Amino acid sequence: MLLAILRRVGQMFFVMVGISMLVFMIFFATPGADPASRIAGRNASPEILEAVRKSFGFDQPFYVQYLIMMKKIFITGDLTSFVNRGWKVVPAVLDTIPVTLSLVIGAAILWVIFGIIIGTVAAATRGSWLDKLLMILGLIGISMPVYWLGEVMNLVTQSRYHDTWMFSWVPPLGYKNLSSDPKGWFLTLIIPWITLAILYIGLYGRVLRANLIEAMQEDYVRTARAKGLSETRILLRHALRTSLISFVTLFGLDFGALVGGSALLTEVVFDLHGVGKLTYDALQNLDLPVIMTTVMYASFFVVLANALVDVVYILLDPRVRSV
Amino acid sequence: MSKKILYEAKNVSKRFTVGSRFSAKGRLTVNAVDNVSITIHEGETLGLVGESGCGKSTLGRCMTRLYEISEGHLVFDGTDISRLSMRALRPLRAKLQMVFQDPSASLNPRRRIRDLIAEPLRIHSKLNEAQITKRVAELLELVGLLPDHATRFQHEFSGGQRQRIGIARAIALNPKLIVLDEPVSALDVSVQAQIVNLLADLQEKLGLTYAFIAHDLSVVRQVSTRIAVMYLGSIVELGNAEDIFSNPAHPYTQALISAVPVPDINKAGSRKRIVLSGDVPSPINPPSGCHFHPRCPVAQERCKIERPSLLTHSNNRTVACHFPIDVRRD
Amino acid sequence: MLSVRDLRVSFCTEQGMVQAIDGVSFDVAEGEILGVVGESGSGKTVSLLAVMGLITDPNAVIEGSIKYQGRELVGLSAKDMRKLRGREIAMIFQDPMTALTPVYTIGWQIAEQIRAHEKISAKAAEQRAIDLLQEVNIPNPAEAIHLYPHQLSGGMRQRAVIAMALSCNPSLLVADEPTTALDVTVQAQILDLVRKLQKNYKSAVVFITHDMGVIAEIADRVMVMYAGRIAERGSKRELFSEPQHPYTQALLDSIPPLEGKRPHRLKSIPGAPPALLHRSTGCAFAPRCAKRFDACVNMPILTANGHDAACFKVNPI
Repeated sequence: MLLAILRRVGQMFFVMVGISMLVFMIFFATPGADPASRIAGRNASPEILEAVRKSFGFDQPFYVQYLIMMKKIFITGDLTSFVNRGWKVVPAVLDTIPVTLSLVIGAAILWVIFGIIIGTVAAATRGSWLDKLLMILGLIGISMPVYWLGEVMNLVTQSRYHDTWMFSWVPPLGYKNLSSDPKGWFLTLIIPWITLAILYIGLYGRVLRANLIEAMQEDYVRTARAKGLSETRILLRHALRTSLISFVTLFGLDFGALVGGSALLTEVVFDLHGVGKLTYDALQNLDLPVIMTTVMYASFFVVLANALVDVVYILLDPRVRSV
Repeated sequence: MSKKILYEAKNVSKRFTVGSRFSAKGRLTVNAVDNVSITIHEGETLGLVGESGCGKSTLGRCMTRLYEISEGHLVFDGTDISRLSMRALRPLRAKLQMVFQDPSASLNPRRRIRDLIAEPLRIHSKLNEAQITKRVAELLELVGLLPDHATRFQHEFSGGQRQRIGIARAIALNPKLIVLDEPVSALDVSVQAQIVNLLADLQEKLGLTYAFIAHDLSVVRQVSTRIAVMYLGSIVELGNAEDIFSNPAHPYTQALISAVPVPDINKAGSRKRIVLSGDVPSPINPPSGCHFHPRCPVAQERCKIERPSLLTHSNNRTVACHFPIDVRRD
Repeated sequence: MLSVRDLRVSFCTEQGMVQAIDGVSFDVAEGEILGVVGESGSGKTVSLLAVMGLITDPNAVIEGSIKYQGRELVGLSAKDMRKLRGREIAMIFQDPMTALTPVYTIGWQIAEQIRAHEKISAKAAEQRAIDLLQEVNIPNPAEAIHLYPHQLSGGMRQRAVIAMALSCNPSLLVADEPTTALDVTVQAQILDLVRKLQKNYKSAVVFITHDMGVIAEIADRVMVMYAGRIAERGSKRELFSEPQHPYTQALLDSIPPLEGKRPHRLKSIPGAPPALLHRSTGCAFAPRCAKRFDACVNMPILTANGHDAACFKVNPI
């Protein structure tokens, strides 16, 4: 089993190197445009262009350029933005990562717990009013756009009802550092967590319910019934356990995408300076070094999340272990 | 056997690779079909029997070039088809058809039976619409369906009727050879006999030649002229259908036949049953020497080391065994 | 021991009520093997699922009486039924490939059943699982309990399923086509095993199959079902040597022989078994029957002399 996990991690690094090459090629090796002028940004003077060309080695072969770029991102970390002169890109991205991770991990914990509860309860009470109610709530959750929900949340907790006993604890928007102010960190993030999680709770609850109902038709569930086990035990130990396998797949994809920048709207609404916000700002200025670094970071996270999913698979499903 | 040879498979092997380079065991090779040679004479039915994993279905698919063979040659009606391009193969496809176990899986559920049967005609023949309609009606009658079935969909039919439709499609282009892959296995017992009879009638009427693949020994015995018994990718015994059953020469054939439960209580007591131990081994890692030796009741030291080759004995019987059971001449 | 009287199972569907089982009565005596034969849709599986209380479809209506050792099972609470299932009445299913939960070891799954019915330590349950695997001839049982279902061959899995069914020493074992998915040589092993275990455990067995050959090998008494009703029932000897119902007769005739001269054509039964929705009010087999006559538009009644058939030729009104 350990071997299977190690092999999967090795594969992950292999894929990451591949992605870094691909991203590099897309940004700098596409023909027809001078990469130096792209990096330098709009209206750059000829001297700056020349400096860029030198420092990125654009007068040298591709692989040298690639290695220089990788060195700048991963080893020396001195890749600088040319829009905001002298602004170091790598520390800027590193600064935003804790913000996004805090937001997404917290929301993920919420949505996994509530998704499983809702899906399981709905499947167990299939056809009843409770099942129907939960599924309708889930559908509403999926249908509410996150920016709208976020604004409503802000309206309610920050202005309209802020002075009532219910929401007086809600701190002003913005991010508090976890290590220096853990309580503030927690309080500021509660509302964003709920906002981001609601969509996924609805989605995961509905998907899990469908999976569970399918699993309850399986032969092995019939065997479990024939063994004289209780319905609760059959649902939780037999059906849920096997249904979680596809649940985890979905989770890996969503989690990776969110950490990689898809949480942008939530970050903007709650004024959290995360990776999404950084990418968004860089795109506005066509700040190529920043865009490239965040794209690379985002794809790394998707790969990492998928590798983690596969490791969880190995733990969940014995059939995967022996392959 | 004075009749001419219609189909010949010479030293055919088919290997599959399983697993990926990155997996723990690395890439593994499965010899699904291992150096098999068979000939099929015009007008006869060659039965291919064996248990799961013996390679009988893979061989059937290789014969019709649904799978590319790894080694060997396939000669159909005088043409070596083993390496023909798909384009060059097309005219021959009309003459070499296949019928599968589950007819509903191979029939498009959204098309009418008429169109399903006409499809091969539209592709391969130059018939006009009126001729096609006439031919479809003819085919429906041949397989024992009614003319008004033509406008229905497959879900309106029972399993037996669907298999009739599958057969009508296969004979639409007047083929010479039909490879039947478990054509009656999915059917109810009472319907199996109908299809077996239908196949026999069509063979007589249209002069067809069959390769009949099945795991049900009594059905294979009923339909076949000659039978090839397969085990783990190789033929272990080949001979006349009735002879093989009355005097099996290979210990595996003998055990296989004896294991079939017979619905006759008078004979059930008197029949000597040989219950083999163990399961069919995995073709990924077949046993050394004779593949059958770990389960063989008469295996000796030699069988563990040396692989027996197929030898022709008396009475046109070919056996791959170091110690075949005496094949009498009767 | 088991006494089923006038069992009716119907399902509400969009096209109306479908009668899957229409008045089936039978008994199973202690220690005997009752063979139930029939084609798909004959109701052989549904009737035994009803006995097990395993019909979970909310649209199903079960009527009639099922008495197990004098106790009425129809209408029994789910909790009481659960105590019976797995302990008193166990079941083996057709496809060993899907009958076991893929994510648990077979030892775990056997121990789970034992612990659901008995207060016993995990250690003791594991030891029982090892003993059971030994009993069904699985090699190295002490190691085999740590294997997952996908690591076993079909025959081995079916042995594990049988071991699980026997784990609480049930007095009635229902086997639903336990050998259909297996190879012939493996089927022979499993049939031998079932016979041996039935002797050792003295359980009664209901063996469901579509294969007359298997019935001839294993059953003491036989019940032939067609379209949700019993066509014929009797001892194995009576049924095979003097089949009374034309369906039983035709079924036996349609099987190609394994020895002797091959018939030029097989005696086949025309048509197909009727779909659930299109059942006639008369004898369900009449449209396919070579011996039908005027009376067959009515429903024949099953005789009650030990060797019984539901046919007007046998039992004229």
